[in-house]
Amino acid sequence: MGLSSKRTGIPTYEHPDRLSDNPEGDLRAYEVFVQTERGKPHTHCGSVDAADDAMALQFAREHYGRDQACVQVWVCPRDAMIRTDYDKDLVFRLTDQSYRFAKGYNVGAKWREFRAQRDYEDYRKEDIKEHF
Amino acid sequence: MSVSAGDNIKLDWERQEDPQRLAAFEARIDAGELVEADDWMPQNYRVGMLRMAEHHANSEIVGALPEGEWITRAPSLKRKLALIAKVQDEVGHGQMLYRVSQDLGKPRDAMLRDLCTGRTKYHNVFNYPAPTWADVAMIQWLVDGAAIMNQKSLADGSYGPYVRTMRRINMEEAFHFKSGEDMVLTLMSGTPRQRRDTQAAFDRWWMPCLMFFGPPDKDSTKTSPFMTWRIKTLTNDTLRQRFVDRFAPAAIDLGLEIKTKQRDASGAIVSDDLVPDELIVHDEASGHYGFTQPDWDEFNRVIRGNGPLNRERVGLRRFSYEQGAWVRRAVLGQTCGLPLAN
Repeated sequence: MGLSSKRTGIPTYEHPDRLSDNPEGDLRAYEVFVQTERGKPHTHCGSVDAADDAMALQFAREHYGRDQACVQVWVCPRDAMIRTDYDKDLVFRLTDQSYRFAKGYNVGAKWREFRAQRDYEDYRKEDIKEHF
Repeated sequence: MSVSAGDNIKLDWERQEDPQRLAAFEARIDAGELVEADDWMPQNYRVGMLRMAEHHANSEIVGALPEGEWITRAPSLKRKLALIAKVQDEVGHGQMLYRVSQDLGKPRDAMLRDLCTGRTKYHNVFNYPAPTWADVAMIQWLVDGAAIMNQKSLADGSYGPYVRTMRRINMEEAFHFKSGEDMVLTLMSGTPRQRRDTQAAFDRWWMPCLMFFGPPDKDSTKTSPFMTWRIKTLTNDTLRQRFVDRFAPAAIDLGLEIKTKQRDASGAIVSDDLVPDELIVHDEASGHYGFTQPDWDEFNRVIRGNGPLNRERVGLRRFSYEQGAWVRRAVLGQTCGLPLAN
């Protein structure tokens, strides 16, 4: 049956539903952010459980920093993060906010109008000079 | 902590949810939106999702055991490095999935303990032995191939934290699968003994892989709340057929013979001896490969704890949990033992 049955030192248990020590509480949850390249934004990629900051950073490096190109890892205790509520806080208003975006400004049409007006003024000046 | 152990986290189909909230929740799911950990969700959604994520986490942890045994016996440095990386990946997946499960309401330590005492299960497939190096190749190719097939469908699910973890895991599983494919190809282009060992390993893993996707669908499967809530996105039989369509032609290509247990004219299994599976034929009309169902009695035996290695797998996990108690105590003692200086 292969190696598993030849492994020695694994005890068999008389009371398989009883463990020798008591259950433990949860550790602290940390959110993990990684940066894949210098200059790129840090992206949230998951969370880890740890007893302290150093352990959180170590776990985050192991779990999230190893299998992809990664230049920096951030960890932050979840309970230290302040966030909005999906239902109660409307973060992005659905009213017209085109003034916030470059595409909200149609300067092409304005340039055309501006140049046409300038050409007209120039023409008129020339016209007046010629006739009077 | 609201929940002290896993016992009170149970499915309860009698439970009445607030109809308005339930309707809004289901509308979001229908619209393809993802559910986040803090969102309202029906209790049965939470429990179903937790069970699946916890079972998945357990499987990642136990799944590392049969392969871990082979690290010291890998045939080359490159294979050894790859195997160490793979085992590390699997354990890492387990850690990520326990974290996801914790946010659904079960403490991490309760999950580790329930695994050690057999209250929760892990994937059946890991109760089978890996007696040769060819089995390691087969696990990485067939079992990880089956796992990717399953996890790709789970990445289309509705629970955001699980879905994101699944996408990440699938990237890493792709390496496991490719490395397995590379090993199987190497072995099948090797000596007659290597090819014989590979066929023998294939025979050991083909049927457990068919069982991997779970028992055949009942009529009710497609309308189960877990499907409508997109905790599951494809039925067991659909996934099993996908697996066969992908791997039967590849096995035939490699010169492997697909076998099944010997049956009599009525279809009852008469012996554990393997015979070629006559149903492995490509059907032009449906586009699918046929196949003989695995031995579902064996599946039921193994899932109840009577598989070849159930005791060893759980025993080893428990051994390392109990041996590691002093480390956990040291870590916890350090943080809660000293009062804050001020």
